Amino acid sequence: MTDSRMTRIALAVAAPVLALVTAFVITSVVLILAGDDWLGVWGQILSWPSNRTMVNIVNSATVYYLSAVAVAIGFRMNLFNIGVDGQYRVASFAAAWVAGEAWLPGYLNIVLALLAGMFVGAMWAGIAGLLRVTRGVSEVISTIMLNAIATAVVAYFLRKVAIRTEGSNIISTKPIAEESRIPGIPFLGGEIYGFVVVAVLVGVAYWVVINRTRFGFDLRAAGQNESAAVASGIDVKRMILVTMLLSGAAAGLVGMPLLFGQDYAYGSTFQSGLGFAGIAIALLGRNHPVGIALGALLFAFLDQQSNPLQILLDVSPDIVKVTQGVIVLAVVIAYEVVRRYGVRIEQRQVAAALDAETREKEVSA
Amino acid sequence: MRRLNKLTAVAAVAALVFAGAGCAKKSTDDSASGSDDCVEKGDVKVGMAFDVGGRGDQSFNDSAAAGLDKAACELGFEVKDAEAQDGEPESAREERLQQLVDAGYNPVIAVGFAYSAAVGKVAAANPDVNFAIVDDAVEGDNITNLLFAEEQGSFLVGAAAALKTETDNIGFIGGVDTELIRKFEAGYRAGAEAVNPDIKIQSVYLTNPPDFSGFADPAKGNTAATGMFDKGADIVYHAAGGSGGGLFEAASEQGKWAIGVDSDQAKTADESVRDSILTSMLKNIDVAVYDFLKSVADGEPKTGPQVYDLSVDGVGYSTTGGHVDDIADQLEEYKQQIVDGEITVPSK
Amino acid sequence: MSSTTTAGTAPVGSGDVVVRLRGIGKTFPGVIANHDIDIEVRRGTIHAIVGENGAGKSTLMKILYGVQKPDSGTIEIDGEQVSFSSPSDAIAHGVGMVFQHFMLADNLTVLENVVLGAERLHGIGDAAREEIRRLSATYGLDIDPDDLVADLGVGARQRIEILKVLYRGARIIILDEPTAVLVPQEVEEMFDNLRGLKAEGLAVIFISHKLDEVLSVADTVTVVRRGTTVATLPGDSVTSRQLAELMVGSELPSPSTEASTVTDVEVLEVADLCLPDPAGGRPLLSDVSFAIHRGEILGIAGVEGNGQAELVESIMGMRPAATGRIELNDGDIAGWSTRRRREAGIGYIPEDRHRQGLLLDAPLWENRILGHQTRRPNVKGPFIDRAGARADTERIVEAYDVRTPGIDTLARALSGGNQQKLIVGREMSGEPSLLIAAHPTRGVDVGAQAAIWDHIKQARREGLAVLLISADLDELIGLSDTIKVLLRGRIVGTFDPARVTPQQLGSAMTGATEEETQS
Repeated sequence: MTDSRMTRIALAVAAPVLALVTAFVITSVVLILAGDDWLGVWGQILSWPSNRTMVNIVNSATVYYLSAVAVAIGFRMNLFNIGVDGQYRVASFAAAWVAGEAWLPGYLNIVLALLAGMFVGAMWAGIAGLLRVTRGVSEVISTIMLNAIATAVVAYFLRKVAIRTEGSNIISTKPIAEESRIPGIPFLGGEIYGFVVVAVLVGVAYWVVINRTRFGFDLRAAGQNESAAVASGIDVKRMILVTMLLSGAAAGLVGMPLLFGQDYAYGSTFQSGLGFAGIAIALLGRNHPVGIALGALLFAFLDQQSNPLQILLDVSPDIVKVTQGVIVLAVVIAYEVVRRYGVRIEQRQVAAALDAETREKEVSA
Repeated sequence: MRRLNKLTAVAAVAALVFAGAGCAKKSTDDSASGSDDCVEKGDVKVGMAFDVGGRGDQSFNDSAAAGLDKAACELGFEVKDAEAQDGEPESAREERLQQLVDAGYNPVIAVGFAYSAAVGKVAAANPDVNFAIVDDAVEGDNITNLLFAEEQGSFLVGAAAALKTETDNIGFIGGVDTELIRKFEAGYRAGAEAVNPDIKIQSVYLTNPPDFSGFADPAKGNTAATGMFDKGADIVYHAAGGSGGGLFEAASEQGKWAIGVDSDQAKTADESVRDSILTSMLKNIDVAVYDFLKSVADGEPKTGPQVYDLSVDGVGYSTTGGHVDDIADQLEEYKQQIVDGEITVPSK
Repeated sequence: MSSTTTAGTAPVGSGDVVVRLRGIGKTFPGVIANHDIDIEVRRGTIHAIVGENGAGKSTLMKILYGVQKPDSGTIEIDGEQVSFSSPSDAIAHGVGMVFQHFMLADNLTVLENVVLGAERLHGIGDAAREEIRRLSATYGLDIDPDDLVADLGVGARQRIEILKVLYRGARIIILDEPTAVLVPQEVEEMFDNLRGLKAEGLAVIFISHKLDEVLSVADTVTVVRRGTTVATLPGDSVTSRQLAELMVGSELPSPSTEASTVTDVEVLEVADLCLPDPAGGRPLLSDVSFAIHRGEILGIAGVEGNGQAELVESIMGMRPAATGRIELNDGDIAGWSTRRRREAGIGYIPEDRHRQGLLLDAPLWENRILGHQTRRPNVKGPFIDRAGARADTERIVEAYDVRTPGIDTLARALSGGNQQKLIVGREMSGEPSLLIAAHPTRGVDVGAQAAIWDHIKQARREGLAVLLISADLDELIGLSDTIKVLLRGRIVGTFDPARVTPQQLGSAMTGATEEETQS
């Protein structure tokens, strides 16, 4: 029993390691073919980050983490919520607007804004969920389209409520009052987002709900085998809708560390593309809260460590996009290879156990 | 060089799919080292942080790069540049500026309003370093703002369009719907309506933030332009960076006029379409960048807002091809009125 | 019956050896592999290969048909040693295979199906049509090349599959479980066809686990057990009991009805159950009515696709479109969700355990929870009770003899029989009042089959009402207290298993006799 558990853990670690090695090799080949100083590149990327960079890595990973958890919630029941990107942007805008209006004082304002963000994110994702259960529209298609619509909707409303400063080309929502900001946590001489705490709590809640509750069991069962789930009494349509709502609500939190810990407003320079990074990281982390955390840190690490490449070595940091892309591709393949290998090992164990058992019986008979 | 770019591009495809990455690698080898007339390199090191797109965007990044390269050559500066990644966090922009500072670059020039907050923060943290930022008014003792009166230049090309149109129907294509691009449209409208209050002006923006592909998608530009021509426009102005190439193609095919932007595009666009370019609205970022670097070389770095408007020829219109020679008098008159303050051009 | 048909035509040993397998070995991780397989097949004979599920028959045939390469041993065809790396190699040497699942395109004609992929042999026109007619006449297959496959029945489709391999020049034909999809009458027809092939000098290799059928047609029988050939016997001098004992290596169980335990307490009453076809065709179920009492097993017989699955799913609440009355323990459950029905005491062994019964990539103890995720010992409030579920899984593994190294093993790793035993154990827990068992022993080995039968009979003695759906008529007759026949969504007959023969059931299943035999 513990044996097969140990094997499973070892195999779970094998896949990402395999993928990282592959990504390392392929990226190196690309660098060498391009005539770049590949050793120098790796020397920079793999060097120990400065304290300042460490802070940036943690911050960046926090945001990635929330995004990947939002994606993973859908993944666990085979829903491809490609729309986390749109969901977090709509939600961030809504939360920023609510927070900027400051209807409630201090921290209450934060709570209200967070709830507003989660609600809006959930509703935005819920559209895709509703289309799926009532009309059979693939959530992949609808969420991609909703991303585009989110862009337009946010741009429209931002223009409506935006404040403009003379001479600036940036428009943004009203800045959040000082007392409604989330203070940073001192870390290595810098400050990391206070929202890190919330991200950790989200991870814990995600793990508990998915792995320890009836609801989570239903969700996983529906994801693994829909017809078995139906036969076991799970209302799969309801699960699809609820899962999309949860995924959207989690997506609603993605922009919050930026909003309450850095930008204090939603404007035209608010960070974009986080939803797509989340997809890659969820794949990398195998939808496991700890795996996702490691994946988020890895992506953030690569992003931050590659930033100076251009200044130091005249190599575009785009090269780490290649690395990240290869990691994701390789990890998907590696997981499948390792999974099959694991099943084979297990079947062998079963066969061995049974052989021994039968032999005993034959002897005793 | 081409071969290598292709290789990286191919390799980047995988990344594109999953990470939504930006462009292939661009080299900085072509920075003004070709000319023999350049002066000896001194010990001043200039850092420049580009917005997404970087060198080769045929738009404002390139324009800034031109000013930088000219300064490097004529003033003997050592230069280094780095570009932004699509979808990067605020911290990456700060980090980029800080690393240039750490590596001894001073002054540091940030291209584009996206750097607004980052410049404010990094400049405050490094009071001994001079910063310049293009298109943004962020304040600081050691910050120079290179600002342009895009609406004024756009006013003149709008007037030119209104004077030249035969259908009383003209168009405007904005790359991305941002405040900055809206300034172009506002000036263009004002200029056109100053000539003919009843003129019909079609307007379209290719994308909304945070989707900045509208600055680099000729196909979208072509579609938008074709639509306008089909609806009766005969002159279309673009403020859409690389997407403008699509407008030029459409204009060339249909025998209509296009108006370029930022630089004199009748000189830089594809040769086959140059004849269709009526004029270009000039936004001389290169001049502004060079001016700023010159002040550094002179030992008196400028600080505070530097507004480049018609009065200092920071913006203007081009005459390449001679297509606007017949209306030159009227355009010059408008220009004078703006410079004299008789006409105030709206910026939104 | 078997001795008369086989003895006259082709005695064992007649003809040259056309296929000779020597020392064939193949190892797969986890799967019982082949080792030391020795088989000789002679021209003009029907050679049966029997063995329980998982004994290695399929692997053996895949090796012979070139789908897989053996790790050791040699294959000789017509005395010449060969090595197949693909089915096309096998066909080139005259070896053809008819799979259990037909590979025919419904919307094409027989001719088109036959020439598909073999256009180079006789073209696609009249020459091909002529060749099909000739083969059909020679071997008595009764096939018209211009019929649309969609219009043909199962038996005819199987003959098309046989014709397809003949068309491609096969002299050695492998049939994998060919009778699984046929009713008894069709089985007899097919055996006549096989005898026709044999008479024309072909060699037929026939894989099955239905021993009576094997004995009625085979000249030679090779028994495979645990991956190797344990005996080769002449078909006319062996009994099915002997074969069965060779197959399992031990005493053989059989489903035999015991004293009736039927009470007069109704557990399930179904009245006027109808289910329209969403595609607008003939209703999938029309006016199905029956009752099951405590301690009663009601068997439903029928050719697959006549509404059995729909009936089960309607009772389980998975078919919202179903109309009619369904009462469980005197309460109307027609509007209830599947979960509520399960909670009310319905256990459900689905016909396809991989599709409906298991989470293959989840450990056994999580599979224990499936379908019971609202009940103790699996849950405490909104949380999963891991300890409770695990302990109860241990109980099931023990009580139902699920052969597994542990309860953390993934369901996928278990053999079909052990997966099924786990499902049976799971569905029997929580004291259900009704068990719906759809093909409970399909695809499981003889040992597991006997165990599952025992569990069902035991539960019946304890007062469980059972709705048993099965394609195995012996199983139905052996277990049921009453048998009803479902044909085109209607109940067309009710039989007393003590008196009915498989032939009678077969007639009712195909609609040959519409008369009802009252028990």
